[in-house]
Amino acid sequence: MKPPRFDYATPTTVTEAVALLKQHDTEAKILAGGQSLVPLLNMRLTRPGILIDLGRIPELNYIREADGAIVIGAMTTKRSVEDSDLVKSRQPLLHAATVLIGHVAIRNRGTVGGSLAHADPAAEYPAVAVALDAELRAMGPNGARSIKAADFYVSYLTTALEPTEILTEVRFPVLPSGAGWSCMEVARRHGDFAMAGAMVTVTLARDGRCSAARIVLFGVGAVPLRAAAAEQVVIGQKPSEKVFQDAGQKAADAAEEPMSDTHASAEYRRYLAQVMTRRALAEAVSRAGRAA
Amino acid sequence: MAVATIKTPADLPVSAPRFVGKAVNRVEDPMLLTGRVEFIDNVVVPGMLHCAILRSPYAHARIKSIDVREAEKLPGVVAVITGEDAKRWSNPMSTIPEGWGGYCLATDKARFMGEPVAAVAATSRYVAEDALDLITVEYDPLPAVVDALKAMEPGSPLLFEEKGTNVILHRLFTWGDVDHAFRGADRVFTEKFRWNRLGANPMETFGCVIQWDVLDGTITCRGSIQAQSFYAIALAFTLGLPTNKVRVISHPHGGSFGGKGNPRGLTIAALVSRKAGGRPVKWIEDRMEYLAAGGSQSWDRHYEVSLAAKADGTLTGLKVTLVDNLGATAEGAGAISTGKPLAAFTGCYTIPVAQYDLTIVATNKLYQTAYRGMGPPPHFWVLEQMMDIAARGLAMDPAELRRKNYIPADRFPYTIPSGNEYDSGNYVAALDAVLAMGHYRQLREEQAAARKQGRYLGIGVVNTIEPGVFDWNAYAIVGMQGTGVPEGATVAIDIVGKFIVKIGFSLEGQGQYTVITQVLADYFGVDLDDIRVVPLDSVSAPPHFGPGGSRLGVAITGAVLGAAQLLTEKLVKVAARLLQTDPANVELMDGKLRIKGMPEAAMTVAQVAGAMLGRSDLLPPDVDPNPQATYVWTAPGRTVADEQGRAKSYLTAANACHLVLVEVDPETGKVEILKYFIADDCGTRLNPANVEGMIQGGVAQGVSAALLEEYIYDEDGQLLTSTFMDYLLPTIYDAPMTEKRSLETLSPFTPLGAKGCGEGAMHTAPAAVMCAINDALAPLGVQAREVPATPKRLWTLIQEKRA
Amino acid sequence: MTTSRPVRVTVNGVHYEAMVEPRMTLVDFLRGELGLTGTHVGCEHGVCGACTVLLNGQTVRSCLMLAVQADGASLMTVEGLSREGKLHPIQEAFMEEHGLQCGFCTPGFLMSTLELLQHHPDPTDDEIKEALGGNLCRCTGYQSIIKSVHLAAEKKALRLPHWIG
Repeated sequence: MKPPRFDYATPTTVTEAVALLKQHDTEAKILAGGQSLVPLLNMRLTRPGILIDLGRIPELNYIREADGAIVIGAMTTKRSVEDSDLVKSRQPLLHAATVLIGHVAIRNRGTVGGSLAHADPAAEYPAVAVALDAELRAMGPNGARSIKAADFYVSYLTTALEPTEILTEVRFPVLPSGAGWSCMEVARRHGDFAMAGAMVTVTLARDGRCSAARIVLFGVGAVPLRAAAAEQVVIGQKPSEKVFQDAGQKAADAAEEPMSDTHASAEYRRYLAQVMTRRALAEAVSRAGRAA
Repeated sequence: MAVATIKTPADLPVSAPRFVGKAVNRVEDPMLLTGRVEFIDNVVVPGMLHCAILRSPYAHARIKSIDVREAEKLPGVVAVITGEDAKRWSNPMSTIPEGWGGYCLATDKARFMGEPVAAVAATSRYVAEDALDLITVEYDPLPAVVDALKAMEPGSPLLFEEKGTNVILHRLFTWGDVDHAFRGADRVFTEKFRWNRLGANPMETFGCVIQWDVLDGTITCRGSIQAQSFYAIALAFTLGLPTNKVRVISHPHGGSFGGKGNPRGLTIAALVSRKAGGRPVKWIEDRMEYLAAGGSQSWDRHYEVSLAAKADGTLTGLKVTLVDNLGATAEGAGAISTGKPLAAFTGCYTIPVAQYDLTIVATNKLYQTAYRGMGPPPHFWVLEQMMDIAARGLAMDPAELRRKNYIPADRFPYTIPSGNEYDSGNYVAALDAVLAMGHYRQLREEQAAARKQGRYLGIGVVNTIEPGVFDWNAYAIVGMQGTGVPEGATVAIDIVGKFIVKIGFSLEGQGQYTVITQVLADYFGVDLDDIRVVPLDSVSAPPHFGPGGSRLGVAITGAVLGAAQLLTEKLVKVAARLLQTDPANVELMDGKLRIKGMPEAAMTVAQVAGAMLGRSDLLPPDVDPNPQATYVWTAPGRTVADEQGRAKSYLTAANACHLVLVEVDPETGKVEILKYFIADDCGTRLNPANVEGMIQGGVAQGVSAALLEEYIYDEDGQLLTSTFMDYLLPTIYDAPMTEKRSLETLSPFTPLGAKGCGEGAMHTAPAAVMCAINDALAPLGVQAREVPATPKRLWTLIQEKRA
Repeated sequence: MTTSRPVRVTVNGVHYEAMVEPRMTLVDFLRGELGLTGTHVGCEHGVCGACTVLLNGQTVRSCLMLAVQADGASLMTVEGLSREGKLHPIQEAFMEEHGLQCGFCTPGFLMSTLELLQHHPDPTDDEIKEALGGNLCRCTGYQSIIKSVHLAAEKKALRLPHWIG
């Protein structure tokens, strides 16, 4: 299982990288952490003419807080996110999702941008991005632009990025104070891709009713699925088993075309979506404080 | 020349064994820990080329043409071969049963996805794979059949048209009056089961470096090979060479579990070496090649089982119908795995009569190969589930139903209906030990309390026989000939008294070098460091087999003790001369040759050996001056199988009892193992740490068999589980941490009373987990009868019941 | 035609320079170019962990890296653990607790254990599982490996050799 021949470039700035993408067009592939790409190369399932390695661009590696968001450079490793005190304290949903990803060695190399751009249906990061209404920044030959997470995921392994664009940064808005959150998934083994999962955030009003809720399913469709109808079941209600159950049912209904593979059938995924939604809601509510 | 069997460690010529029975650090470990062991892919020889193999993407297809011209032109490519070269320079691969196979490279058609079609030797593996991209093969796809039951139907696509059928073998074995037993039974329990394909997956795949020197007519082959002498013979037959012209050197290898080895790959590499003018060729099987086309897949079974019982729980008969999906050919040891269950067909129980209706079928899946346990793990998985079915049906506690039917401890050696003889055992003691360890009554209370909280806990109490020390006659029913598997060792002392032990196998992981060292150190009263174990190749070593069939601990102990005894006879004669007495007055004790009753009149072993090699003037004339002896051990008392397959086959019958507590989440179908207790008995434990390692490793594999591992093919014969993303091996999270207790019921037949234990817990763990899962599911009115019990399968059963 | 690139690395304190094709994986570079065959190839798709080495102090799966990506890095492989014929305390611990059988996965486990003990000198069972969850072993069933790591912690096996970045 040895890679086919390819050429290789190591730009040191984003501008340089974009220029290379434009120059080589469909022959080019971006190498970020390599944890998804190199297996494909080893299996000769992809045969790029040139690999553009973003690993020598220092300006893409950072985690900071700005304007009510945790801002992360696209080449920041998941390990850096996992170890970041800032993320642990200010963006716990992102932290919880990160420790579910693969294993230590994978997180040491895998990047935030790489995962977001790769768009695996069962991956955690795209779902977190949608759950938190993240803003993704891209740079192309025509300059920089922002794409909302809700618009970023188009179809199976396909994002709104143009072939000549590079993801440079993602901004995860910080949750309101007192918001509860949960990330729950079912996988065959610890660290495996989820068969189905739910990312949930809830905010409770002073009277205990839910004032806001966000439910995003992953693993049950080609792209992260925001279960808006399920959210509507919860908003305005006092949390209860019945509310969670109804929301779960609505979430399952929203999963119109889950995939079938060796691990799970479409039907089973849909059922798991319901269970994960219910359990994640319960956990998110237990974490939520009352609004001041 | 036969030597007396040394029956227990107390019989060793030492006042108190310092090493046998202790968990000494392994002598193999420093080299392994520092990465300095020469696994086959470390080997580089001058002029070496690298081989890559082109494989059929179709499960069933005629090969219309192969064009290799572009590949041959690629810089760095030295040779390319196809099926034409295989026909010209080799014989078809040998199969068991005979006559169901083809050449190492597909010739007229491909019969499974991944079957080799062409091969390249080039200056690097990278270039060799580039060359494969340039080979053009024209295929004419044929309909494929992957389901064994469908393959038996008239009109099914045929793997071998000239045979007119896909049924490779169908035999009915009847041991005793089974019909009478079933007619007269108070209760008959019947159930169907499905065991899906899984396999060995050692962390190192197969590899070889092979050179076919055509001028010389010799083959030199290095490889990660488990049984080098048998590979050498097979290679000689396949390549049409005299057997003494093939030299196989087994390298330390990264595990095997039976599923290591790729005779096709070896043959292909030899052919491409020949085509490359006799240059050495390295072929390293990559993981995807292993999964699709290596020694990777085993036990693809459809069972229907009936158990007859009296109302009081006494079992009176067992019928097993097995349809085994062997895959595309009968190469590999897949068929053999349907024979081994005879060695322990009725398990721990006094079931007096039994029947085995066996059908082996060809389909367009990979041909099956051996995997740890060699067939009994699925057999016990069905037998133990039948015990639980009977217990439920008879309203008996499952542990008590088993206890009631155990072969009593005083009835050994005990011959079971299928013909094998169990050497010894105390099953009641193992059961009581495990029930005590696990606080069985409390577990049942815990289960009931959890039920009230809406949780589904399940308990499995399961026991099996773990047959040890295999023999060929165990596989007579599928055509294997012969009895007696040899294991030889030469023990030599040098002029200063250091020991060298020459054997015919390399490192595989079970710690045999350490066992050899422990046994000899105690026998001759020396330190572990005074002994060095040296593996020899297939032409230099005494007759040998190597690891396999839970035999090596016993066999190599027998070989080194036999050699030690023969050597001692010489030492005694020489010492007697030097001490001026009769040999009958001299004995070996605590490392000294001494006059009986006069312990101060003694010489050390080193002194005597030194005299043999350096003082010919002092030696008696009737002793050859060679402080070295060779002994080949085989199991005593083996018999030729009769027409019903009955034979004394596996020499030892270790046993184990597993108690498992699981929880099933009915919403997700996920299973969590909460507690796991093991009581096992393999006689004398030569190195308890080695034994525990075999047990725990077997537990991980067995649990994974029950929950995770499965090779899935679609209807067109495409392997869907083609990488480790889909074929799931157990991680540190998936292997339960177990509490273990050991019992030691010695074997009366083996050196030091040890029993084979290498396949260990693999026989028992799948059944233990399955019975626990079904115990958890019982309140839901659902039972799982298919492995692996994946979350999807369990969930589907539960949902279907609710509907 | 793809051109060779320079790879300048320090491995176990020794500097190496070579020109390699960009497609050569790091594990093939270590094993083939540098002759450091203690790191093993188990799957070539990043699941088994047999190829685990330390790169700038962090574990990486060397089958999922190209050698050219490691240009300028400081690496450690299993060959760097023992010095002058003496086993490292981690290796001693694995031997004393029988944390290996065939030894093929062992170098990867040793590297992962070394990284773990940097961050958690006295790890809990959960922390051990988290750190080793990406290393597959087919022989031991992991129980003795967990014991080995605890023993290594007891032996205060936490200091990386001085030449690790």
